[in-house]
Amino acid sequence: MGELVGWVFDGLLALSLVLLAARVVASARLFESIVLFIVFGLLMAIAWARLAAPHLALAEAAIGAGITGALLLSTFREIVTDQPPSAEAPKVLVYRLRVLMALLAGGVFAVLGWALLSIEVPAGPAAGEQARALVARTGVDDAVTAVLLDFRAYDTLLEMGVLLLAVLGARAAVAAQPPASGDDLWIGGEGDTPMVGALVGLLSPLIIIVAGYLLWVGAYGPGGAFQAGAVLAALGVLLRLTGRLVPLPRAGAFQRGVLVMGLAVFSLAGLLTMATGRAFLQYPEGLAYPMILVIEVALTLSIALPLVLLFSGSAGIAAGRSQHSP
Amino acid sequence: MSQPALFVLIAAAVFAIGVYGLLSRPQLVRRILALNLMGNGVFLLLVAFARRNPETIDPVPHAMVLTGIVIAVSATAFALAIVRHLYRQTGEVSLGEDRPR
Repeated sequence: MGELVGWVFDGLLALSLVLLAARVVASARLFESIVLFIVFGLLMAIAWARLAAPHLALAEAAIGAGITGALLLSTFREIVTDQPPSAEAPKVLVYRLRVLMALLAGGVFAVLGWALLSIEVPAGPAAGEQARALVARTGVDDAVTAVLLDFRAYDTLLEMGVLLLAVLGARAAVAAQPPASGDDLWIGGEGDTPMVGALVGLLSPLIIIVAGYLLWVGAYGPGGAFQAGAVLAALGVLLRLTGRLVPLPRAGAFQRGVLVMGLAVFSLAGLLTMATGRAFLQYPEGLAYPMILVIEVALTLSIALPLVLLFSGSAGIAAGRSQHSP
Repeated sequence: MSQPALFVLIAAAVFAIGVYGLLSRPQLVRRILALNLMGNGVFLLLVAFARRNPETIDPVPHAMVLTGIVIAVSATAFALAIVRHLYRQTGEVSLGEDRPR
């Protein structure tokens, strides 16, 4: 019975995901596409949960649906012009070629996926126990955190580099021509309604607590720097939209420091392990957990601030109140 | 059919829809959406692969997808910043060769 319910659920999930993806592409209005894409992201979070990937479910809900959605919608506010799907209908041949290309891509993808699934599973519990023993040596109980910050720490280190590059790249694109109006993201142009203050006052401490919890729990359960950073970034987006954070044309030394802190602390930890005669980022026995914790705290802040700055579209942010537009 | 196989099929369908969107919709924000759909298809494949053994779950694909989600949002934000810049400079939201004449 339980299994049947699971299959029905998975089937409905599959149908919804595919139909939503099709509507995202086919919808005539850009706004509808963006909103449906956010819904698609939320359903992806459910799919991750179904696939026993709670880390990803948390990250997808906060980043994939939340931050990406906010970025898309704030872009939509500025770019309202959409091209109609077909000013003149495409030639039949062009249309057929596109469908053919898509079908080919999907077919190759499915074949590769089938090949991947038919790779032989490492035999029995022995391999699992071996892996668990390795994870235990890192001082964290959670396998995904162990992979991210120990076994494949290079990936995470370079990912911080990519995040920093994205911020710098976005800066370079935006700085070339600053927006005409001062504060285009603030939604309270006429001043706060009574609900806004109460809502922000209630949500802000809660979000900080949730982020702190996610960061701490990452050592032994679903959570960690990525999820915590994304949740903190959501707080930044909320405060930016309600005018509690104002954009700055330049980032102060402190914010620049936070931007590079994750990369710097991570690299420093790697150099320290090298100085003691180990491989890069091969933590010494017994010190692995404290080192991972310090790195994770730095990563959380260095993930949250770039995401907020990317949303804000400004070089820096400061606490303050947006002024009423004249 | 096993659960991973079902999700691989969804992944292939979502990927194919993304490819079609990329080819058929020249508006740049739509292209970014289509690319994100393709990325989500790849993520689904990796996580379905992590579940091929029902007893233990392979954490390595999970960690890779977690990294991938953060990279995807960075790349999306960067791409959207470029689109905004293009719009401010030219008032266009598609590339020259794709514009209706």
